[in-house]
Amino acid sequence: MITLLKISWRNIWRNKARSFIIIAALIIGVIGAIFSAAVRLGVEQQQFKDTVGNQISHIQIHHPEFIANPEARYRIPDGFQLAEEIRNRPDVTITSPRTVFDGMGASANLTTGVRIKGIDPGIEAITTGLDQLVQEGSYFSERGRLPSIIIGKELANNLNSDVGSRIVLTFQDIEGEIVSASFRVEGLYLVADKTFEKRTVFVDAKDLNQLIGDTKAVTEIAVVLTDIDEYRNVASELQAAYPDTKVRHWADIVPFLYFSLEFLERNLIWIFGLIILGVSFGLLNTILMSVLERVRELGVLMAIGMKKIKVFAMVVVETTMLSIIGGLIGLIISFGLVQYLSKHGLDLSGAGGEGLGEFGYASVIYPELALAMYFQLGMLIIVFAILAALYPAWKAIRLVPAEAVRQE
Amino acid sequence: MKTVIKTTDLTKIYNGGAAEVHALKKVNLEFKQGEFTAIVGPSGSGKTTFLNVLGGLDKPTEGHIYIDGVDLATMKESKLFDFRLRHIGFVFQAYNLIPVLTAMENVSFIMLLQKRSKEEMERRAKEMLEQVGLADKLDVRPSQLSGGQQQRVAVARALASKPDFILADEPTANLDTESAFNLLDIMARLNKEENVTMIFSTHDQRVIDRARRVINLVDGAVDEDKEFDR
Repeated sequence: MITLLKISWRNIWRNKARSFIIIAALIIGVIGAIFSAAVRLGVEQQQFKDTVGNQISHIQIHHPEFIANPEARYRIPDGFQLAEEIRNRPDVTITSPRTVFDGMGASANLTTGVRIKGIDPGIEAITTGLDQLVQEGSYFSERGRLPSIIIGKELANNLNSDVGSRIVLTFQDIEGEIVSASFRVEGLYLVADKTFEKRTVFVDAKDLNQLIGDTKAVTEIAVVLTDIDEYRNVASELQAAYPDTKVRHWADIVPFLYFSLEFLERNLIWIFGLIILGVSFGLLNTILMSVLERVRELGVLMAIGMKKIKVFAMVVVETTMLSIIGGLIGLIISFGLVQYLSKHGLDLSGAGGEGLGEFGYASVIYPELALAMYFQLGMLIIVFAILAALYPAWKAIRLVPAEAVRQE
Repeated sequence: MKTVIKTTDLTKIYNGGAAEVHALKKVNLEFKQGEFTAIVGPSGSGKTTFLNVLGGLDKPTEGHIYIDGVDLATMKESKLFDFRLRHIGFVFQAYNLIPVLTAMENVSFIMLLQKRSKEEMERRAKEMLEQVGLADKLDVRPSQLSGGQQQRVAVARALASKPDFILADEPTANLDTESAFNLLDIMARLNKEENVTMIFSTHDQRVIDRARRVINLVDGAVDEDKEFDR
């Protein structure tokens, strides 16, 4: 076996240029596969964290009519009590009762449609980490003449506003009457999803509820679970327990994100497979050339008594060795690259990446890939190498020794 | 003298294209232990086919080849590999060493296939390379050896497996006169020392002049079979 390995190893280096080219192709293929997967996963995970973690939470509960008509009149009966009950479940970390509806936001000279979220600042900070998203100004720490409002930086730009500016919100109260109230911009928040940032404003629920005429108003309860994987079960249980409400989990609320993540999770190995398959054809070609150049030598080996199975194994071992060298180097470089970028980020803002925010993606991407995926890709390379070796190895053992030994 | 090889009505017909080619026609020959035989004849007379069939590299269309009482003609291909490994040594016209192995490794390789012990392989390989005058080239690869030296390694490889007989297909065809004489001296000496049967196919008068038996093939049939006291 050692001699077989030795012969295979030396055979690889007979034509150094050819071996280096196929090794380089493997390295580039592996880096390409891993880097694209890690960037894609990083983007999706970031979007998940941004959308689910910072915006919608794991589960949301509304009045059934609220989904189609997000108005103050569609409130959850005894919303605060319901939120308290749900918070007491062992599988729930926190609940955030909110007063949410659509309205208009106006600065001195511009008006735009906004989604107004009345929140408990303390609870919201734990639920979505909104306080951490505030990049300019402060987070509900000032108590001035006007109530505070936290708006997105993008909305501030659209309304020509800044921290300290006055914004007038116009909306319907619980009776459907139009109400307007002035707020002072206390802070500007920043998220990757520029549409959210352009549209969503946060005010203290106490202030908002007084304005709509129901101090106990709750139109939305956001629920954060201890184990996110249980979101479907908990949502079903909550729906069964509170049939007068509409319970939706994050995958229902943002299906595109759910399908995107599911697709990646299920299909990453196929994406890897396709890339490695492409490289494998190069590998097959290299080994086939190598076999066809050694017809006489292979003939001699079989003539002197080397069994076909050993000749076959020798060709497979050569291919596997080449793929292990290229694959391993590729995996090591990819690992280092992904580790580095997962800490320092891949800033695409200079390359038109700012536009990604319009689609809910961050312009700075932090690629990430589980170690298991490196292992899976490594296995895939070896499997494809063996498959790529089958045809050249079959050609090798089909040689007729008597003819092969005389070939020029 | 013990008979090593016996052929009976050995016939080989190639069906190439429209016409059949009768490469061997009912060849009946016996080869004794320790013979030094040259198979001669013009191109296309069937010398190489005869050697291929004797060596189990090709199957006869009819007839039998008995080696130690075993008929190679009816042996399965999988068994033939093992039979060749244990009973037959080959020396080819173009040396056909494994270029990625050193002289020592080339000679050892066949014994490795025979699953000999490491110690035995090393001892025998060194001994054989010494016998062919290449004791100082053990770790040299074929590309660094001259044609004559490569063919001597091939002879050492053929003998290392302790075969019943060696089949040498035009072994001196690619060698200059000095190398050819040198190789023939070595082969003649080893033929006697190791008492191994050697059968050459050749056009080379230098080989024919050394052979103790010369078989002349014409159109696939034995035309003449002469023995010489050399």
